[in-house]
Amino acid sequence: MTVLLATRQLEVGHGRAALLPPFDFAVEARTCWAVVGPNGSGKSTLLRTLLGLQATVGGSIVHRPQTIGYVPQRSELDPSVPARVLDLVRAGAERGWRFADPFWQRRMQGQVERAMRDTEIAGLAREPFQNLSEGQKQRVLMAQALAGDPQLLVLDEPTSAMDLHAERGIFRLLDTLRERRSLGILVVSHHLTLLGRHASHALFVDKDQFAVLTGPVAAVARAPAFVERYGLAMQVLPAPVAADGHGATYDR
Amino acid sequence: MTDSPSTWSAFLAGWELFREPTLAATLAGGLLGLLGVYVVLRRMVFLAAALSQSAGLGVAAAWFAQVQWGVAATWASPTVGATLASLAAAGAMMAGRTTLATRRDGVLGWVYLVGAAGTLALGTRIVQEVQDIETILFGSAVAVLPEDLARIAEVALGLGLLHLWLHRGFIQVAIDADGARVRGLPARLLEALLILSLALAVSVCTRILGALPVFAFTVLPAMAALAVAPNVAWALVLAAVLGSASGFAGYVLAFAWQLPVGASQTLVAALAVALVFAGRWSWRRLLPGRAHAHSHGPGCGHLAVVHGDHVDYLHAGHRHHQHPDHVTDHGPPPKT
Repeated sequence: MTVLLATRQLEVGHGRAALLPPFDFAVEARTCWAVVGPNGSGKSTLLRTLLGLQATVGGSIVHRPQTIGYVPQRSELDPSVPARVLDLVRAGAERGWRFADPFWQRRMQGQVERAMRDTEIAGLAREPFQNLSEGQKQRVLMAQALAGDPQLLVLDEPTSAMDLHAERGIFRLLDTLRERRSLGILVVSHHLTLLGRHASHALFVDKDQFAVLTGPVAAVARAPAFVERYGLAMQVLPAPVAADGHGATYDR
Repeated sequence: MTDSPSTWSAFLAGWELFREPTLAATLAGGLLGLLGVYVVLRRMVFLAAALSQSAGLGVAAAWFAQVQWGVAATWASPTVGATLASLAAAGAMMAGRTTLATRRDGVLGWVYLVGAAGTLALGTRIVQEVQDIETILFGSAVAVLPEDLARIAEVALGLGLLHLWLHRGFIQVAIDADGARVRGLPARLLEALLILSLALAVSVCTRILGALPVFAFTVLPAMAALAVAPNVAWALVLAAVLGSASGFAGYVLAFAWQLPVGASQTLVAALAVALVFAGRWSWRRLLPGRAHAHSHGPGCGHLAVVHGDHVDYLHAGHRHHQHPDHVTDHGPPPKT
């Protein structure tokens, strides 16, 4: 399978101080990695390092895809900034110096429309972003990330402040996108139950235990360091992947 | 526009005299209004004040050098002083973000205070130019020469074209710097270009119009535009138009009512902000259904709350009630 992102003895932290021990892991196409850990455990630092926003303390990122779709936390967006849905999704198609090309957005129109169709927001193109519900906002940010036709999708707490109905919808959508676009997915979330059902692999980080666990989600969920922190909260069940985008239903 | 037709006629009759300052204010208002959108978006309103104060200090320093040290006016011209001081301030602010590890607002405060105190201190050493120092700080009625207008026009044209060409990059870095960097946009370069653009525009405009209207043009039109524009691109256009209108109308009102020009232009821009916010508040209050594009219902993503005999949905801290063709605002829920 195609390796999209790989690290070798990567150390993350601030300055020269590593928050976590060195670790290796590799994200392949069509896999979904859950990044889990308590608040303040180093998840954001890890994510920023993998995205190239922060320098590594040690080791290296040996493979990084040409295009990464990054979905930030919705709370990071200033609600007072005026933006329509279409404006935000188009912004995701900008790469490098393409913003200097006046015709670039026109050429990317097909890609933008496909991203909006895939995230089921095609009918919201002219709506102001701040008028949308949390679930719709999340889909818009995912469409923005997909507009650049990425190989890897990185999401930071995509279902925070959502009701269960909307949370399930987002995870089902991720399953669909993973299959339809052969994406690798890296998702930070605290929703262990849903992660246990939708993720194929897990990356557990805990600054207090100075621990990093990586591997198939079932193996990580049974590891002592993980169980000590969460017990058996991450139940591992078959992921309800469905090509029609609706997925299976299940109880929490 | 004015209080009586005769005043407007008198203004037109004296157009030869007023042409340069009026057009200079109109161009400066448009340029600073456009750049101000980025300033307001990035919550760097104090940046404009700090840069304009620095430019004022640069002008005062140029006169000081001429009067006290006998430096030739060619080398110590007010324009050169304002430009150098603004660029130095911009450099300090960029360094304050990357190398000094100091909070940016602290650096801005330092630059502002040095600019303000330095201008006043130098003013005591160049007594015969004190009137000119006040002109720098509060704006001038007629002291705009044809070459001043030409300089503002050149700067406005150059920076206007640059920002028209690169506006998509500037917008992305302003609203989502991390996302822009992940997508490979040259975020640091764009940020440096933006601050240098501001430094150049503010220094030239402060030298000619004064610090007060320059600060006003950089903040107020952008506030109004961002409150009503559908997106940032339209806010840039609207802010430029509002800035130009404030510059022009402020000058005419200053003539009609014998007001200080800078104060008049500032008050016109402030009035525009007040009118825009009042209009927006009225629009949302009186016509919530029209201003509300989202349809509420089960699974819409908003929390359903029981309100008397019906169900509302919590949206932006208010209970919204969905009707077949519109939404009504039932106010915030009671505090428990």
